[in-house]
Amino acid sequence: MSERTFKRFCPLEELPPGAKKARNLDGVPVLVCHTGEGIFAVSNLCSHQEKFLHAGRVRAGRITCPLHGAQFDLKTGAALCLPATRPIATYEVRVVDGWIEVCA
Amino acid sequence: MNQPAKLGRGLDRCPNAPSTQEIIARDKHPAPFWVRSESYQFLGDEDIPTERYYDPEFAKREWERLWPRTWQFACREEHIPEVGDYYVYDIGRFSFIVTRVAEDEIKAFYNACLHRGTKLRASGTEGNTRLFKCPFHGWSWNLDGSLREVVCEWDFPHVRRESFALPEARVARRWGFVFINMDPDAPSFEEYVGEEALAHFDAWGMEQRYIHCHVAKVIPANWKLTMEAFMEAYHVLETHPQVAVSNADANSQYDIYGEHVNRFISCLGVVSPHHAGRFTEQDVLDQFTLGDSSFVADAERKLRPGETARQRMADLLREQFEKATGTSLAGVSDSELLDCFSYTLFPNTFLFAGISLPMVYRFRPLKDDHRKCLYEVFFLRPVPEGRPRPEPAPCQLLEPHQSFTEAQGMDPGFGAILDQDTENLRLEQEGIEASAKRGLTLGNYQEIRIRHFERAVDKYVGR
Ligand code: FES
Ligand SMILES: [Fe+2]
Repeated sequence: MSERTFKRFCPLEELPPGAKKARNLDGVPVLVCHTGEGIFAVSNLCSHQEKFLHAGRVRAGRITCPLHGAQFDLKTGAALCLPATRPIATYEVRVVDGWIEVCA
Repeated sequence: MNQPAKLGRGLDRCPNAPSTQEIIARDKHPAPFWVRSESYQFLGDEDIPTERYYDPEFAKREWERLWPRTWQFACREEHIPEVGDYYVYDIGRFSFIVTRVAEDEIKAFYNACLHRGTKLRASGTEGNTRLFKCPFHGWSWNLDGSLREVVCEWDFPHVRRESFALPEARVARRWGFVFINMDPDAPSFEEYVGEEALAHFDAWGMEQRYIHCHVAKVIPANWKLTMEAFMEAYHVLETHPQVAVSNADANSQYDIYGEHVNRFISCLGVVSPHHAGRFTEQDVLDQFTLGDSSFVADAERKLRPGETARQRMADLLREQFEKATGTSLAGVSDSELLDCFSYTLFPNTFLFAGISLPMVYRFRPLKDDHRKCLYEVFFLRPVPEGRPRPEPAPCQLLEPHQSFTEAQGMDPGFGAILDQDTENLRLEQEGIEASAKRGLTLGNYQEIRIRHFERAVDKYVGR
């Protein structure tokens, strides 16, 4: 049985709307994006060729891999276009005591 | 209504009805020069041969001679606001990465690796990047298109950097639109549009608009046939009976400008000549359909004695629209608020001026089926004053069985009109292929845009 443990990611004030931030949470590369629709946490690795996503553009609830242009839905992780065909992981997020916490 | 022609050769107009110019001249807020101009010309009355709508040979000639030589709307500037933003525009097998390479410079790169050809970006995508890196062997190009890296360069001594920059199509930017043209010998965009039409479009301020809604659907008809369904108001009576009550359909105005632009003006808020005497001004007001009726949803609609439906509608729209969007309409005429101004910019774009129907249409044949096309509708709303430009709405692709009314952000009344328009098209495509008659017969005046448009097609395919 795996237990749901949330880990502190960063203080909320470091991630205003429109911002995104990547860091390793116990070895897991996590990307958190604060969009107009809320805060989302996904894997920071593109499912296409395992490149980092964090420099990608976020628009309309999706992130675009800056290297080859694959797009992923931030809510579901679904791959939305070539060259990616597989989803990326998504993680639960919550805000506690002014901290963004991620269950990764 | 049905009197025989008296003047002939394109000079006849709908009898016993005011002209478009007469209707507009009565408005409280006077119309600008581009509304008040007239530019009709008789272009012959021969049938239009129909093989152009189904013959694969004709489609092949279009792919070879028309699409690679015309200016096409690729994307809006707001799709690529920041340096490094790109938008992939496809037309048939051709594909371009339209990229903002510097603050005020946009390039359109052919979307193919110069090593073994792989598309550098998938079709239908957009994003932001600092370089274009091929997903196959990793060759890469800088944002400006210069070659950045050849992996294992020692194996390619024959690759000279200077000749391995990404090839480009030409780019023109106007009214917030980015246009491309593959033909290095084509006229400039300005020449292509022509001075008069350019002045019309320049007057609209489309650069101050943003895409509020973007819907696409595959239509089971040739792209030209599909476009032509939107080039006249002649079909309103039969196809859109709900609109005819408050639309001057048979007395709409049709104009042509040079080789690549034509238009109609169709007045709203006045009864159709087909229905003259059968509806009161109050009926006309009650039946009024708009592109975005949410603006006047709960307005008072009872007319005072002597008041016209058209003027009340203009006043209402002015007031509600200013409130809803935070933009000022001082200096905007009643006609611009109410009427439908439909312009074709050859080959495949419609631009609508005006406030109540702020659309842009784009039509593209499907790459592997010239008897179908992708039809896109964009609604452009003014950027609210003193607020940041909203992001452009992403494209919603409807399934063939879906109604336009199902698209988010689509006015239900307008969606229903688009459904009526596109439902005809399957029957028209099939009927043309089934027919014993090999030509379309056109009205001299009301269908001049179709003749004018097909003339330009003929010019490019070379017949
Ligand atoms: S095909 Fe692009 S690097 Fe080989
Ligand atoms: Fe129509």
